[in-house]
Formats: sequence, C-alpha cells, structure tokens
Amino acid sequence: MDIIVCMKWTPDTSEADLTVDKEGKDIRKDDLDFDMNDWDRFAIEEAVQLKEKVGGKVTAVAVAPEDAEGMLRECLARGADEAYQLWDDAFEGSDGYAVAAILAKFIKDRPHDLVLTGTLADDDCGGQIGGMVAAMLDIPGSTLVSKIQISDGKLTCHRELEGGLYESIEMDLPAVLSVATGLNEPRFVSVRAVRKVAALEIPTLELGDLGLEASAVGSDGSRIRIELMELPPEGEGAEIITGKAEEAAAKLAEILKEKGGIGS
Amino acid sequence: MKEIFVLAEHRKQQLRDTTWEALAAGRKLAEDLGAELTCLLLGSNVDAMADALAKEAPRVLVVEDPRLEPFHPDACMQTLKAILADRGPFMLVMGNSNALLDLAPGLSVTLDAALATDCFKFEVRDGKPLAWRQMYSYKVNTLVSFKDAERIVATLRGGAFAFTPSGAAVATVEKVASPLGGTTFRRRFVGYVEAEKGDVDVASADIIVSVGRGIGDEPDMEMFESLAEAMGGVLACSRPIVDKNLLPKYHQVGTSGVEVKPKVYLALGISGAFQHVGGIKGSPLLVAVNKDPRAPIFRVAQYGIVADLNQVVPALTDKIKQLKG
Amino acid sequence: MTIQEPANVALAGIPAPGLAFVILVAALCLFAYIMNRRIDLLRKAMPDPRFDDIGERIRLALVYGFGQWKQPRYLVGGIIHILLFAGFMILSLRSLTLIGRGFSAEFNLPGLTGSVGMAYEVLKDYAVLMVLVVCIVAIIRRAVFKPARYAHAPGQGHEAEAYVILGMVSALMLTDMIYDGSHLAATGHTDAGLLPAATVASLFMAGSSPAALNALHIGGYWAHILIFFGFLNYLPMSKHFHVITAIPNVFFANVDKGRIKPVRHGVDEWMDLDECGITRFESFTWKHVLDFYSCADCGRCTDNCPANAVGRSLSPRMISIKARDYAYKYYPVFGTAPDPGDIKFVGDVITESEIWACTTCGACENECPILIEYIDKIVDMRRYLVDQGQVPQSLQKPMQAIKKKGNAYGGAKGKRAAWTKELDGIEVKELKAGDATDLLFFVDSCGSFDPRIQELSRSLARILAKSSTDFGILGQDETDSGNEIRRLGEEGLFEQLAQKNIAAFQDRQFKEIVAFDPHAFNAIKNDYPERFPIVHASQVIDRLIKAGRIRLSSDYLAGRVVTYHDPCYLGRHNQIYYEPRQVIQAVPGVRFRDMERSFDRSFCCSGGGVMLWYESEEEKERMGERRVRMAEQIGAQVIVTGCPFCLINLEDAVKTTGNEGKIEVIDLVELVDRSLV
Repeated sequence: MDIIVCMKWTPDTSEADLTVDKEGKDIRKDDLDFDMNDWDRFAIEEAVQLKEKVGGKVTAVAVAPEDAEGMLRECLARGADEAYQLWDDAFEGSDGYAVAAILAKFIKDRPHDLVLTGTLADDDCGGQIGGMVAAMLDIPGSTLVSKIQISDGKLTCHRELEGGLYESIEMDLPAVLSVATGLNEPRFVSVRAVRKVAALEIPTLELGDLGLEASAVGSDGSRIRIELMELPPEGEGAEIITGKAEEAAAKLAEILKEKGGIGS
Repeated sequence: MKEIFVLAEHRKQQLRDTTWEALAAGRKLAEDLGAELTCLLLGSNVDAMADALAKEAPRVLVVEDPRLEPFHPDACMQTLKAILADRGPFMLVMGNSNALLDLAPGLSVTLDAALATDCFKFEVRDGKPLAWRQMYSYKVNTLVSFKDAERIVATLRGGAFAFTPSGAAVATVEKVASPLGGTTFRRRFVGYVEAEKGDVDVASADIIVSVGRGIGDEPDMEMFESLAEAMGGVLACSRPIVDKNLLPKYHQVGTSGVEVKPKVYLALGISGAFQHVGGIKGSPLLVAVNKDPRAPIFRVAQYGIVADLNQVVPALTDKIKQLKG
Repeated sequence: MTIQEPANVALAGIPAPGLAFVILVAALCLFAYIMNRRIDLLRKAMPDPRFDDIGERIRLALVYGFGQWKQPRYLVGGIIHILLFAGFMILSLRSLTLIGRGFSAEFNLPGLTGSVGMAYEVLKDYAVLMVLVVCIVAIIRRAVFKPARYAHAPGQGHEAEAYVILGMVSALMLTDMIYDGSHLAATGHTDAGLLPAATVASLFMAGSSPAALNALHIGGYWAHILIFFGFLNYLPMSKHFHVITAIPNVFFANVDKGRIKPVRHGVDEWMDLDECGITRFESFTWKHVLDFYSCADCGRCTDNCPANAVGRSLSPRMISIKARDYAYKYYPVFGTAPDPGDIKFVGDVITESEIWACTTCGACENECPILIEYIDKIVDMRRYLVDQGQVPQSLQKPMQAIKKKGNAYGGAKGKRAAWTKELDGIEVKELKAGDATDLLFFVDSCGSFDPRIQELSRSLARILAKSSTDFGILGQDETDSGNEIRRLGEEGLFEQLAQKNIAAFQDRQFKEIVAFDPHAFNAIKNDYPERFPIVHASQVIDRLIKAGRIRLSSDYLAGRVVTYHDPCYLGRHNQIYYEPRQVIQAVPGVRFRDMERSFDRSFCCSGGGVMLWYESEEEKERMGERRVRMAEQIGAQVIVTGCPFCLINLEDAVKTTGNEGKIEVIDLVELVDRSLV
C-alpha cells in the first residue's frame, strides 16, 4: 500500500510569548523554534504502523522551506521510506488552498492508496488541508480520525464527534484521512535514529518539477489574504469575581454563557 | 454579496446549536452586506426542523433525500454544488463543528469558493466581508479578507455568535428536489459509536470542568459531574485526583496526562502547578475557583472566584441550568 | 577396638583408591564441563575491561568478599551468612583432606599434620557443629519466620533450591560427623571439649556393634564424598552459583561509581554499530552475566528499592533472577537450547514498565553484599528501547524539548539567565568566551527555568555574593547537563549535550565549577569525557563557613527540629554525606535528627531531572510521601535537602500527606541564604 503523509513545519507557539511584526500581518518568528506540527506526528506514526501491518511504502511530503529538512529526516527516522520537500520561492505566502493545490499535484502524479495528515496545524489552525486535497483529487476524505482499520482494500475508521460520540465510517481507497491527536503513541526519535537515515536523500521539488503555474501558488494562488494580526488584550491575572458564593456563581454563569462556556 | 446562506446542522432529528449560531452570524452579515438570507436544511423527514427554522429565518430551502440522513459530507457537497450552481455572489456560513469539518474544506474546493474556518467575528469593508479568526495556537487574532472571491464559505467558532430568538419571521419553506439522482458514494456511514462513560475523551473536549486537590479528601464527585453535565462539558482532573482513585487516569490533564485544547476550562480547586497548566493548550477561557487567593492558577486564569467550592459549584450548576432554560 | 579406614576397604570388589579416583575424575570432568558451558555465555557476551586497578579489586575482594562487609547490614541474615561462610572457609580444607583419604587412610594436607593438624581437627569440628546448627536455624527461619524479603510472586521463586542447598550442607556435616563419630565410638576417644561434633555423633552410636560402626564409618565417608561432589556440580545449576562466583564478582565489581558504562566498551563510534543496548541477551557485558549468575536471591536490593516500595513493578533482584532463568534455559548445560521464538528479553522477560520504573537511585547496588550492578543494566535496556523508539509518552516531551531547546521546560535558550534579573543589587556575570572567574556556577536547566528552582539559583548567587566570591555563569552557552538523558538511554543526545557544555567550559577560565543540583554535579564529575574540577554547593558553603566568610544565625530555623534528606546523586553516587550536615550544624543551637533511612540508605524521592515527568501507573503511593512520613516519624519540622528535585517532590508530598504548615521542605542553599548573618 502506498501511503503519502503530508507534514507541516510550524513554529512552536504554544508556550512562547508572541509579538506581531512591524507590518502587522504576521508574528515575529525569529525567536521561535520550528518543529513538526504536533498533529502530523500522529499521522506519520499511523502511516508507519499501517505499513508495518499491511506492508507498502510511506512517503512523507511537506510544502516547506529548506529549514524543514530536519523534520522530513525525522520522518525517515520514524520509518518513512522516502521524503520530498516541495519548495520554491513562488510558494511563499500560500494560504491553505494554495498549499493543498501543491500537495494535490504532488500526490496525483504518484501512486497513492492512502493520504494521511494531521487534522489541524498549530500555526494557522485552519483544519482544511485534508478536505481540500481530497476534493482536489476527487477521492473521499475525513477528518478527526481516531482509529483506522484496513482490510481487503476497505477502510474503516472512527472519527470524533462531540462529547464522547464517535462516527464509524467506511471508505473506498484511495482516501485522505486527517487524523486526530492521540490515535496512536508516536515513537521516540533518538539522535542515533536520525543518524541512521542521514545519508538518505530528500529531493526538493520546485514549481517546474511539479508542473505548477506560478499563478496557482503563493499569494496569487491564495484565496484569502491576511490583512491584520493582533494579540488579544491580556489581563494581568484573573479578574476576581466578588460577592457571596451564590452571587459570584451567578455572575460566572453569565460570563460562561456569554463566552460559549455552556454547550449542549 | 447578494446572498447569505446558512447551513443548518442537525443530528438525530435535532437541530444543533451551531445552526442557531450560524443563523445569528448570517443575520448580521445579511444586514451589513445588504444581502438576502436563506437557511439551507438538508436531510430526510425534516419538517419539524424546517418549521422551527421558518420562525427565525426569512427563507428556508429544504432538500430531502434519504442519503442526506444521517449527515453525509459527500452527499451534502453534491447537493450544495447543484443547488448553488447558478447562485452568486454568495457567502455560506456554517458551524465549525467536528461533523462539518468533513464538509467545509472540500465544499469550498467543489464550489470554487474562498474558505475561512473557525471565524469568531465578521466585519464589512467596502461592501466586502472580512473574517476574524485565530492563529498560532489560537493566541493571535487575525483578520482575513477573501480577495475578490464571489463565493465564500466560512465556518464559525462555537459560542462566538450569540443567537437571540425573534420568533417573528414566518418563512416559506421551499422544497427543492434532491439532485443526487442515482449517485453512490465512496464513503458510507456505519453507525454512531458511543464512547463508554469511562472513555470520555478529555483531549478533544471543548468544555472542561477540571478538579484538583482543593476539592478535599472526601469530595462529592457527583456535584462536579452534574456541573460538567450542565455545562455540556467533560470532567477532568489533576494528578492528585487520580492518585486518590477518584477519577481514572485518562481524565488527568497535564504534561504527564492528557493534553487538552478546550475552548473553556473551569479549574476547581486546582492550584496551577506547571505540570498541570502545561497540559492546557491553546487559549481557552480559563476560569478558576479556589479557596486560596494566592493559588498560581489565578495568574493564568481570566476570571476567578475565591470561595469554597461546596458553595459555588451547586449555585453555579443551578444558574447554568436556569440559563439554558 | 579397631576400625577399618575407607581407603583400605574395597567396595563391590573395587579397591577404594580406584573408586576414589573414578569419582574424583568423573566429578571434576562434569564440573569442568558445566563451568565451561556457563563461561561460554560470558565469552559470547559483550566486552568490559575489568582487569584495571588490580589493587582496588583485591581490596574489594578482601573487604566485601572474604570480609563479608555488607552482610551485617541485615543483622540476622548477615550473621547467619558470615557463620556459614566462615564454616565453608574452614571446611574447604577438610573436604580436600577427605578426598585424599579415599586414596590413603593417612592422608593429610601438607602443613596440616602434627600439632597444626590437631588444632585444625578441633577447629574443623567446631565448624561442623556450627554450620549444622546454622543450617537448621536458617531452615527454620525460612520455613517458620518467612522474612518478607524472601517472598516471591507465585512461580517466580526458587524457594526449593534454598532447601536443597541447606539440606545438602546439613548432610555434608552429618556425614562428616558420622565418619568421625563412628571412629571415636570405636576407639572410645571422645572429647566433648575438643571434638564436639564428632563426640555428639558418637553418643548416638554408643553400644553399636563394631561391624555397625565400621559400616557407619565407611558409609559416612562415601556418602560425604558423593554429596560433596554432587553439591559442587549442583552449584552452577542453581541460584547457589554464588558460592563459586561471588568472590570473582566482587573482584570484578564496578570501580567507576556514578558513571554510566559506554554503549559498548572499546567502541567510540557506537552510533555505527548495528545494535544499541540490550537487543538480545548476549548484549549484556560478561560482567553483567556474571552478576546474574551470582545473585543469591537474598532480596536486599528489592527491599531497598523505592520504586518497588511504592508498588511499581520493578524488583532489582527479579531482574537478576529472571535473567539467570533465561540464561539457564536458553544457554543450557545439557541438551540443545530451545528456540525463544518471539520472546524478547527486553519487553517480554523484563517489561518496559520495570525498565522505566527505575529512578537510578542506586539503593539496590549499594545494598548488594556482592556488589551486583543494576543501573548500567537498566540503562543498557533503556538504550535498546530508545533505539526502538519505545519511550513512554510522558518522557518523550521533556526529552524532545532537551534535544531541541537544551532544556526540558521548553524555555527559550536566550532566557537561560533570566532568573538573575530578580536579584536585588547583585550582578551575576554572564561569562563570555575567554572570560575568567574563580567559580563557574553551573545552573542547569532546572535552576534556569523552573520558577521554584530559580529561587535556589538566586539563593546560591546571594551566598556567593555575600562571601565576596568571584563567580559567573555560562548564560545561554549552557545547556542541560544530560545526567538524566544519559540514564534514560538517549546516549546520542547525551553526547551532544556534554560536548556543548565541555566546549563552553573550555572557552572560559575558572578554578572550579559549582552546581547545586547533584544530577548536574554527577554528570560533569563522572560522565563527561573531559574532567573538570567540580564541587557541590554544600561543599562550597561548608568551606565558606569554615573560612569564616559567612556566618549563620538561628533566626530562620528558630528552634525547629531539622532533618536532612540525602539526595541519591550526592550521597550514594558521590559519597557526599558530611558537608551538608556540617552546614546545617553551623546554625547555632540547631536541633538536628537523622531519619532512620539516611546516609547511604536514604530513600529516593522518586527521581530528578527528566524523571520528574515520568508517571507510573502502577504506584500506589508516591515515594516522596513515604519519605515525608519517615521525617514525620522522627518529629522533624524542617526537611533540608541538597537537591532541587528532592525539594519539588518532597514539597509536593508534604501537601499530599496533610503536613502543610507542619513540615517545611527547604534546600540547603535556601536555608543558608535565609540564615545569613
């Protein structure tokens, strides 16, 4: 089975103090550490585990600049058979749609029974790549997949709905699955494991190699544009709700309701 | 924008809250853009839901087909593609729910539309809509434009758009024949799988009520469970609670437990050790209730109450039930 | 009445010397064969150069082997063992003599003739009686009193072997007594004072016919000889192999305390090896296999293992027992080895939860009477798991963070010195390459990023400033010491970290390095391939107090009862026990009490460094809680420790044991900082 895993190289923003850059259209990234998108870590692990079970080949691919080579090498260390870096200066400024178009073009040109990726990336929090790639390839897709079973060319998976409810679905292959975190336990990658794959080549494919037009990628090929970025106002610690327990509780209930803290 | 479409989301013959929130967002957008508002309801045997929507939306468009029930993203996509084929310019809004996450991105490609997911606010400039969403671990607010797109799909952050029922509209419910014909799909719904009660998935919960050491040695766990239930969330905890066998391990939030990315995190009796707080990712609305005013959790929470949990929690549960009606 | 000597009586028509010869040759051949098979596995195992430092090794053999130095740490068992061991030493000559007497009735060992021989006869006879009595006591102790540490999970024990051995030894003594007693009974030369064992035996034979006495004499002799050779050949087949291997095991013990073994001895480019860690049984070093052979299942290691005490599945002795069982089964003396099939030594025989449960506190190794090593084996097994990517999720995150950011806390490199900003009026020098200072303060990740431990960094800075010590830090050129990374089996990462710190050290001039975290102290002192002078904060403070450069007041402790918790990496691994106590004693009028488990028997708080992140699903209680209860027992109001991780674990445990407000946990540097005059 040929499995292609779409990886993303993202800045680790979860713990960092962020500031918006001068143009006000992005954050300052010079101080940030970049790493494999956490969700994608589960995708590559699932791909390797599936390969270990049913055999086949795992290909990791990322639309990312040079710096991301380490991430792709880590994919090889995790058990991927080959890795490709898709980058061209023209790709700069691509939105989710343009990235999906690049990935779809790459996938279309090679055998693929299953395409895996993480449901969400921590940088743009879009959750759109998997679904878009599936539509572009005209194959079925699903997101938030928490369990994957493959037998006789048929794919069965569970996906998370809200509140402990799951949906069980079947799909024909090929398909695109965007996985949820926690569907497996990603393996550890030691320094030695990376050393072992140090000699493997990670080809970089550029615009022409992929047969793409410049107008289809980058900001020209994007459908949305970032106009402004700002940090939400940050309070100095908690606003303490005063009053007797009942009063405070009542005030808190209002706040929760207002902020979406009361679900179904 | 000529038209605003709102896609109704339903499960097991019940409209979901996302529908009303999308309707609220749609109303505002229609008003600001001077566009017509239409609610789209796709399913099978949806009369009751159509009636409910007709009280709130100026137009309701219904497509019925057994293949649209239960929710099937590919069937929805085909249907929407057919009924929206000649429309435009338009903007289609829907909830950013887990179910619709299987629809919106593919749909945007199918409709050749621009997509913005998880929007929490819209604004209009020069007659064009712009969307506010969050990036970078949900820590940065970002305003995005749709360039010159004539078709836009946007999904909405849960809880961001408050719906106020007007009940005034009496819309006509327009039924459109299903365009699906003999289409078969490469994806098949098998069934719902209810996680066992013990299987509560804290990691993917949007609303978390989390309890810590401060709940005491012999806590009334039912009290906390009913609060979580009232809030529509799940109960989680810090390590001492697991140690005392009050909750199983998979409820434990923390760097050593489960990492969570909720929208709302209510910390009850949690001191706020880094091992715990480190497991809370994203930027949820963090509310802390603790007896100790110096508890570090108050430093990271947006709201806090310094009080005895035994008094606050029942009062809060009652009040929330009241607000939900 | 005369009695016939065995050497002069043919049995079944075979002259006795012939029989003795056949038995001797057959038994020795069998023994040689068995030993060769056992040693064969040692030859297959990995290398380990243990022939260095012969002087120290002889000392170890004398002190811990022949001197039985660790035995009295468990008094009853220890005394029993020492008596048995002494008896064996004495009776070994007797056994040789008796073998000789199969060839000649007059045989005596050279030197054991005449009056010396007479004296030895007496000594040996007392030994026989003593050994017999001790065996009976030991049997009763096992069968009736059942010390808890001998207990095994069903199916895992080797209880029966203990009885077989005790029975055989008793039988050896009894046959010797029958042999000698029948002689006395026949000759009538009984003497209870000089030959108590033989005399006691003769009393039972009083009135027997000469023929019966003769039969007993000869029968006793041959029974003794057969049991002796049976015993000898049984040893390498049982858990009592230690009778043979214990002294060599002690001689070849690890003399590099605190240091972890390399991935493979003699191989620098270990990364290019096909295997890393214990991929198969033969990946253990020969010394580690010898350890397995040598374990006598006394249970002292497990009895002292903190992980075992709180319910984790780790039991050090079971590692030895299971490994020996594995060795005996798959490297059998007789017949062909069974196919292990899918059974993996690491993973199936020794489970992952056992392997990760270890805090590397060293209590097991420290307790073992014959110096069996565990930490290196655990680390080698972890190296295999790490190489396979099988690392618990709770540990992966901090390990990845160290790999990417040089600290487990995810803090930015540039913020390593941020803790210095909250020091009023004290400027901490951030040493650039080429700078010089007297004392290089190695802060490590915990002191740089953990808000609680940053307080210790500031305390030490204040103490050094107060004493006008010239000191500085590495700032962002510092990276994690790697102590735990190495112990978690991620050798490649450890090497990177060590090289980075070594380069930073080499770029600067200093007289000494100081660290308040014993883990960092240990790594730099023992693990780094380059040597640097390093001291622990307690040693520096002790010197400052002795030199009169700082003085302490009693204001902070205010008469509270103080105890000291020995951190594993300061105490057991580096033998620093006294300086911290001297510093505490420097507080005027201090009320100091040691806990029962102190010094080298200190009870681990559950591990430092990255181990802080490890969560065991098995434990029923936290180690720190146990420790706090021990402090509670002696009425301590203040627990002073010398390790930031002990501090964190114990502070947490004070809360969970309901001792908040009653017991304060404080690091030594904080105590000194707050008590400065």
